[in-house]
Amino acid sequence: MLNQVLAQEVLNMALSTGGDFAEIFVEDRRDNALILQDNRLETINSGRIHGAGIRVYVGLNAVYTYTNDTDREGLLKCAKQAASAVRAQRDGIVQAKSLTVLPVNDVHPYRMLPSQAEASKKADILRAANAAARKVSDEISQVTCSYKDSEQDVLICNSDGLYVTDRRVYTRLGCQVVASSGMENQSAFEGPGALMGYELFLDKVDPAVYGEKAARTAVTMLHAPQCPSGVMPVAIDNGFGGVIFHEACGHSLEATSVAFGMSEFSGKLGQQIASPIVTAIDDGTIPNQWGSENVDDEGTPTTKLVLIENGVLKNYMIDRLNGKRMGMAPTGSARRQSYAFAPTSRMRNTYIAAGTDSNEEIISSMGDGLYAAKMGGGSVNPATGEFNFAVQEGYLIKDGKIATPVRGASLIGKGADVLMKIDRVGRDMRMAQGMCGSLSGSVPTNVGEPMIRVSAMTVGGRA
Amino acid sequence: MELFLKKLMEEARSAGLEACEAYVVERDSFRVMTTEGEIVEYKSNAARGLGFRGLLNGRMGYASTEAFDEEAIAQLVKGVKESAELCEDDDSVFLYDGQDAVPEMNLRNEALSAIPAEEKIARVLEMEKHIKAYDSRVDKTSHNTIQTGSHTIRIVNSYGMDRSFTEDMCLMYGQATAREGDHIATGFYGVAGRDFAQLDAKAIGDEIARRAVCQLGASAVPTGHYRVVFLNEAMADLLSTFSGIFSAQNAQKGMSLLKGRIGETVAAPCVTIVDDPLLKDGLESRPFDAEGVPSQTHTVIEDGVFKTFLHNLKTAHKDGVKTTGNASKAGYASSVQVAPSNFYLKAGKRSLEEMLRDIGEGIVITEVSGLHAGANPVSGDFSLLSKGYLFKDGQRGQAVEQITVAGNFYELMKNAREMANDLLFPLGAFGCPSVDAGELSISGK
Repeated sequence: MLNQVLAQEVLNMALSTGGDFAEIFVEDRRDNALILQDNRLETINSGRIHGAGIRVYVGLNAVYTYTNDTDREGLLKCAKQAASAVRAQRDGIVQAKSLTVLPVNDVHPYRMLPSQAEASKKADILRAANAAARKVSDEISQVTCSYKDSEQDVLICNSDGLYVTDRRVYTRLGCQVVASSGMENQSAFEGPGALMGYELFLDKVDPAVYGEKAARTAVTMLHAPQCPSGVMPVAIDNGFGGVIFHEACGHSLEATSVAFGMSEFSGKLGQQIASPIVTAIDDGTIPNQWGSENVDDEGTPTTKLVLIENGVLKNYMIDRLNGKRMGMAPTGSARRQSYAFAPTSRMRNTYIAAGTDSNEEIISSMGDGLYAAKMGGGSVNPATGEFNFAVQEGYLIKDGKIATPVRGASLIGKGADVLMKIDRVGRDMRMAQGMCGSLSGSVPTNVGEPMIRVSAMTVGGRA
Repeated sequence: MELFLKKLMEEARSAGLEACEAYVVERDSFRVMTTEGEIVEYKSNAARGLGFRGLLNGRMGYASTEAFDEEAIAQLVKGVKESAELCEDDDSVFLYDGQDAVPEMNLRNEALSAIPAEEKIARVLEMEKHIKAYDSRVDKTSHNTIQTGSHTIRIVNSYGMDRSFTEDMCLMYGQATAREGDHIATGFYGVAGRDFAQLDAKAIGDEIARRAVCQLGASAVPTGHYRVVFLNEAMADLLSTFSGIFSAQNAQKGMSLLKGRIGETVAAPCVTIVDDPLLKDGLESRPFDAEGVPSQTHTVIEDGVFKTFLHNLKTAHKDGVKTTGNASKAGYASSVQVAPSNFYLKAGKRSLEEMLRDIGEGIVITEVSGLHAGANPVSGDFSLLSKGYLFKDGQRGQAVEQITVAGNFYELMKNAREMANDLLFPLGAFGCPSVDAGELSISGK
C-alpha cells in the first residue's frame, strides 16, 4: 500500500486549499462467499474491494471523496477533488506532519487465513449445517446456508502524523431454514461469526448445531398460533435478544445523533436514564469478537466503554469529527462499511452486563406475558427513540409458566421508557452476531445481554 | 477499460471457459447532507466495479473486482474457474446472445452534472429554511440531502453482445423534528427524478415539516380490530417488502406460496399488479435487464388473477417459459437473481377522501417501519410499528403512533376492498395507490 512519503504528498494536496485536517483511508479487501441451497452448492463468488477515501475538515464541515485508482496519480486526483470543494477562509495553509508508524498491538490474532483454506472444506461446512437442519423434520422445505469470509487490509493516515495499518479477518456462517405445511411457511435464522480466521470452524463453531437450531425454531413456529396483541411483561433471552438494547438505546448514544441534539439522550450524561439494575457496555477490544477491531476506521485504538452504569448515563460513542463538535475525545468508535463511506460513530460489541436474577425466577414471577426466546432484527428512530423489532421464537407465559409457542410477534416502544422498565437482569450474558446499518454503511456488530425482563411492553400480534 | 476487457476475454478463453461475460458499473455521484445549516457530509466520487462470470462444464462461476491491473485479470479468471468447478447447480444456465434489439429509451439529463456544487448546496439549504419556517413547533432538521449522479451499466460477453446504458438522476430529501411539550415527532419526505426543477425546495421542505407537525399529540389507540386504509406510501413499502413472492426463483426454491398457482384467483378483483421497466421517469426504468435481455412490460396479477412470475433466463428455462427480462444484480459483484423493475399496484377510480367518506370510521396508516424485521417475506406475515390517524365520517381525527398493524400480505391481497386513484412511487421503484385493506389487528395501549 501507500508509503509514508506519498501519503504525506497526498495529504498536502488535500489541504492545499485551506482545510485544517486531512485523512486517507486505503482499503484492499478479499471476500469469499459460498451459498448452498436446494441441497447443492449454488453460488460461489469471490471479489476484491479496492479503493481509497480522502476526507478534509474545514472547521466542523467535512468533504469526502473516494476512488478505485490508488496509484499516485489516482490518489492525487482524488485529493485535489476534495480540496476543490473546500472553501476555507483562513490565512496560510496547514501542512501535514511527517508520518510516524503507529505500532498496533494485535489482540485479535488469526491462525489460518481463510484464503489458505480449501474451498471444498468450506463447502463441507455448509453441507453439515444443511444436513443437520433437514434431519429435524420432514416439514423443512428449504435450507439456505451461506459461508462468508473476508480479509480486509486497511491503512489509515492523517495530517496529524498518524500512519497505521490493520488487518481484519472475518468468517461467518449463515443458516436460513424454512418450514412449510404447504399452506404456510415459517423461517428462522442463525448466523455465528467472528473476527478470526478459518479456525472458527475448527475450534468454535459446529455448523450442525446452528443448522439444527434454526430448523427447530422454524418448525416450532410453523405449529404455533398467532401471538396476541396488547401491553404485557416481556422476558427477553440472552444472545440475539441484546438487539433490544442495540435498537432501543445504542443508536441513540452514537455521536451521529447526539452531537446535533437529535437524540433523546442528548445532554443527559450523569443522569439516570435506565433502571438502576442496568449496566451497559460497548467494547471494541474483546479478542476476536465479531464487532472488535485493533484500531477504528480513523486509526484510533478501540476501547471498552461503559455506556450506562447502574442506570446512569456515563459515555457516548464518539468519532473524531463529532467529538470536535461536542468538545469531547473520540472513543475509538468510528466505523465504515468500506472506503466508499465517511466514517461515523458506531456500535462495536454492545451488551447489557450480567446482573443477579435467576432465569427461573424471572419467568415464574411475571404472571401472564411473553417470553421472547429468540429475537429477529429491528430498527429505531433516534430522534424519538421509537423502536421496533421482531420476535423470531416466542412463548406465551401463563401464570409464570411457559404455556404455548406463538408466532408473528413484534415489540415496539420508546427507548427511554423501556430502559426504565427493565425490572430483572439475569446472570448469563451471551452475545450474538449481526450486521448493523447506518449512515456509514453496514458493519459487523455484536449484540448481547443476559435474560432481561421489561415490566410492560406493547406486543404486536395478530390474535 | 477496453484493453482490460479485451485481455480478460482472451485470458478466459485460453483458460478453457466455454463462454464468459463482464458486467461493468461506473458511477459518478455528488451528495451533500446538511443539518441545522451545517454541511455535515460532502461527497463527490467516481468509482467502478466489474463482475465477471463464465461457464465451465455447463456450470456458472462468479468473481468480481474494483482493481483493474494484471493481477485482477488473473484473479477473475481463477475465481470464476474455481467457482464453476465447485458449483453443484445442475439447472441449465445461459449467457444471452443479444439477438433481440433493445428499446430506445432516454434516461439521460446531462444538464444535471453541469449544475455547480454551490447551486445544489444552496438548494438544500433553502429547503432547510422552509422546513424551519413552516411552523414554530419545528424544532430541528437533519439528514437534509441533495444528491445527483449518473451510472453506466455495460454488459460485454463472448457471444459478441456489447450493450450499455447511462442514467442520470437527482434526489432531495430531509427530516424534521417537531416538539410540543414533551412530545417529539419526526417527518421524512423526499423527491427523486431526472429533472433538477423537480427538487422544489419549498414544496419538499413544507411537506417534511407538515409530516412532523401533524404527528404532534399522537398517541396509541386501544388494542383491537380496526378498519385499516394504507396510505399509498405505506402500501408501497409493503409491496416492496413482499415483492419477492412474485419471483420465479423464490417459487422454485419453495419460498413463495404462489408456487403452482398461475391462472388462479389469488387476490381481490380490484388488484392488478404491473412490472414496467419501460415506464417514463421510473427509477428502475432500463432498456435491458442484468443479462442484457430487452425490457418488456408484464402484468403479474390482472383483476385478481395470477398471470406470471418474474423470470430470468435460468428460471424461465426451468419453468419452460420465456424470460420476462427480470434478471437482476444487487451490485456489480452479485450473482444474477430475479427482481422487479418498476413494480406497481394499479390505481382505482375514486379519491382517498371519497373512499374514507364511504367507509365512515377507521384508521389511515401513513407510515410503517422496521420492514426488515417485522415482516416475513416467506410467510407473508407482518406486524409493523406504524403511524397514522383516525378518521370518522371521512374526517381526519386524532394522530396515532406507537401501534403495530399486523396481518398477512397474501390475505391482504385477497381482502383488499378498493384502490384509490392516488398512485404514487415514493422515492423508489415501487408504486401504490391508497388501499382499503378491510379489517386488521392493531396493538396499542
